Amino acid sequence: MLELNPILVKDLRSRMRGARAYILLTIYLLILAGVTLLLYAAISGDVGNDLNAGRRIGQTLFFTIATVALIEVCLITPVLTSGSIAGEKERQTYDLLVASLLTPWQIVWGKLVSALAFASLLIVAIVPMMSLSFLFGGVGLTEVLIAIAGLFVTAVLYATIGLFWSAMLQSSLGATGFAIGTVIVLLLGIPFVIVIASLILGSSALSNLLDSVWFIYLSRFVAALHPFIALGTTASHLSSGGNPFFEIVRTGTANVIVPSPWVLFTILALIFSAVLLAASVRLVQPAPSGADRRKRP
Amino acid sequence: MASIVETCDLTHRYGSNLALDHLNLTIPEGAIFGFIGPNGAGKTTTMRILTTLLLPTSGEARVAGVSVTREPRVVRRLVGFMPDFFGVYDNMKSWEYLDFFGRSYGIPAQQRRRLIGELLDLVDLGHKRDEPVMSLSRGMKQRLSLARAMMHDPRLLILDEPASGLDPRARIELRELLRELRAMGKTIMISSHILSELAEMCTHIGIIERGKLLAAGEVQEILRTMRPHRIIEIRVVSGAARAEELLRTHPDVLELRREGARASTEAEAEPLDDETGPHTLLVDFAGDEHALGDLLALLIAGGVRISHFAEQSSDLEDIFLHVTKGIV
Ligand SMILES: Nc1ncnc2c1ncn2[C@@H]1O[C@H](COP(=O)(O)OP(=O)(O)OP(=O)(O)O)[C@@H](O)[C@H]1O
Ligand SMILES: [Mg+2]
Repeated sequence: MLELNPILVKDLRSRMRGARAYILLTIYLLILAGVTLLLYAAISGDVGNDLNAGRRIGQTLFFTIATVALIEVCLITPVLTSGSIAGEKERQTYDLLVASLLTPWQIVWGKLVSALAFASLLIVAIVPMMSLSFLFGGVGLTEVLIAIAGLFVTAVLYATIGLFWSAMLQSSLGATGFAIGTVIVLLLGIPFVIVIASLILGSSALSNLLDSVWFIYLSRFVAALHPFIALGTTASHLSSGGNPFFEIVRTGTANVIVPSPWVLFTILALIFSAVLLAASVRLVQPAPSGADRRKRP
Repeated sequence: MASIVETCDLTHRYGSNLALDHLNLTIPEGAIFGFIGPNGAGKTTTMRILTTLLLPTSGEARVAGVSVTREPRVVRRLVGFMPDFFGVYDNMKSWEYLDFFGRSYGIPAQQRRRLIGELLDLVDLGHKRDEPVMSLSRGMKQRLSLARAMMHDPRLLILDEPASGLDPRARIELRELLRELRAMGKTIMISSHILSELAEMCTHIGIIERGKLLAAGEVQEILRTMRPHRIIEIRVVSGAARAEELLRTHPDVLELRREGARASTEAEAEPLDDETGPHTLLVDFAGDEHALGDLLALLIAGGVRISHFAEQSSDLEDIFLHVTKGIV
């Protein structure tokens, strides 16, 4: 019989054994439900009673749920993994794992999958809420599926960021700090770069550059590093009736076909995750001499 | 006896700090090898290299002929390691703890179940099977840790200061346990500062200081060769004055003392009187076994009546203090 990854079994067991997992899940859903209800109360009076009112409510609900869920996934998943390997070091069990027949890959993979299993639970838990927006109309299955996929890919990327810091550092507190820091820098830094770049380009003589194919690809690329921008632009593109997988950008000279932002985001996120995963595996090896990572008790 | 551990010019540096300096160590299969040295001598460093947790800066270490740097996975299968700390998971029962490490060594489920029962019995923790690991006492954790190190049936057990923090009873139990393991055919490498204890349970010892091996070999051998010279205790019933005269002129006698006397100069003050009862003389003797026999014959031929003639037993403590200079 093929045995499951021991780390995965152990971590899932201990994660689901304590009350912590359920408390976290409850808080997560409460925040989501609370924000959604508040928003519903705020807009249901405004939209009036015309034919499109239901559609607008449905769309607003969907966006709100998706956005709040995305924020929560961005903040929770790196924390789920940042304590994983560093936690073994703190408990002084790390050496025992490394000295066993577990491969570094098994250790890293087990940690990642056990965190993602829990993150998936968080993501799946919002599906009933999202289907609420179905009732109002205005949101299609495509939107919901893309939102779920986007949340999942975000979870993978941010979980591997946490995992990397966890393999790198000695304390889970430090790893969590660095992981959250990295996430915040990415989430705030990318829009900042985009704003600055557009200010510079908008005001200068370079503005004819804006029409070049390279610039279009580059700007899409940068925007696709950011889950909120990528998924948000995809959603607005979809609501105006675009194709879910690609879009055609009209410039003065030609039509450029670019992949839909969420597709690009998915590809880039998975590549970065793979790189971070490989880096983590490399870190979970006996220390090369001179760079001993052991914590002296 | 084939050797199970062999290191060849094993050297390790932490930055500029030389922790191991061309260490050449051999442990024969089936031995209980005591690894002794003061704090910071390099014991843990050596053990971490042998368990593939640390890559040496230079030199070579082999376990059962397998290089720890080239084939670490093969070595991991051969070695069971018990570090000088005990890693625990909260939320885990004793049997789950063993089960997890059993899985980590790829032991099939059925065999694991059987092994867990056997090992818990071996370390006398059968009744703690379903207790959380966190709730065990220090000595129990230590024993559970030993059971963990045994899960994959290693040929070599490396135990880093297993006796530290244990009460005297737990130490005795540990010693018994190690004897049992040895009887099962395991080779055991054990580090400690507690020398008298190692002397009782080890077959071989190695003394390390500042990353250098100062002495190694069978315990008896070390006890014999490491003494610069021996102290012979002679109890003289009569003819003490004659005995002193003979001893003082003997070429192999480096020093002669009367028991109770402060220094040898004091002893020369006046000849010993047989009336004041049997006297005990302490002789610092440089000769070998034969010379010692000749000395006894000489005394008896000289008319000295002797009731006790024996080498003072020296213990590892003395040797340790003598060999290590306390420079670390
Ligand atoms: N992680 C580390 N980083 C830097 N130096 C270290 C590290 N571990 C050990 N050393 C140094 O290496 C030397 C040997 O240490 P080691 O832990 O092997 O000694 P030890 O014989 O096990 O001592 P003890 O009896 O205190 O356990 C010491 O000088 C120590 O300061
Ligand atoms: Mg040590």
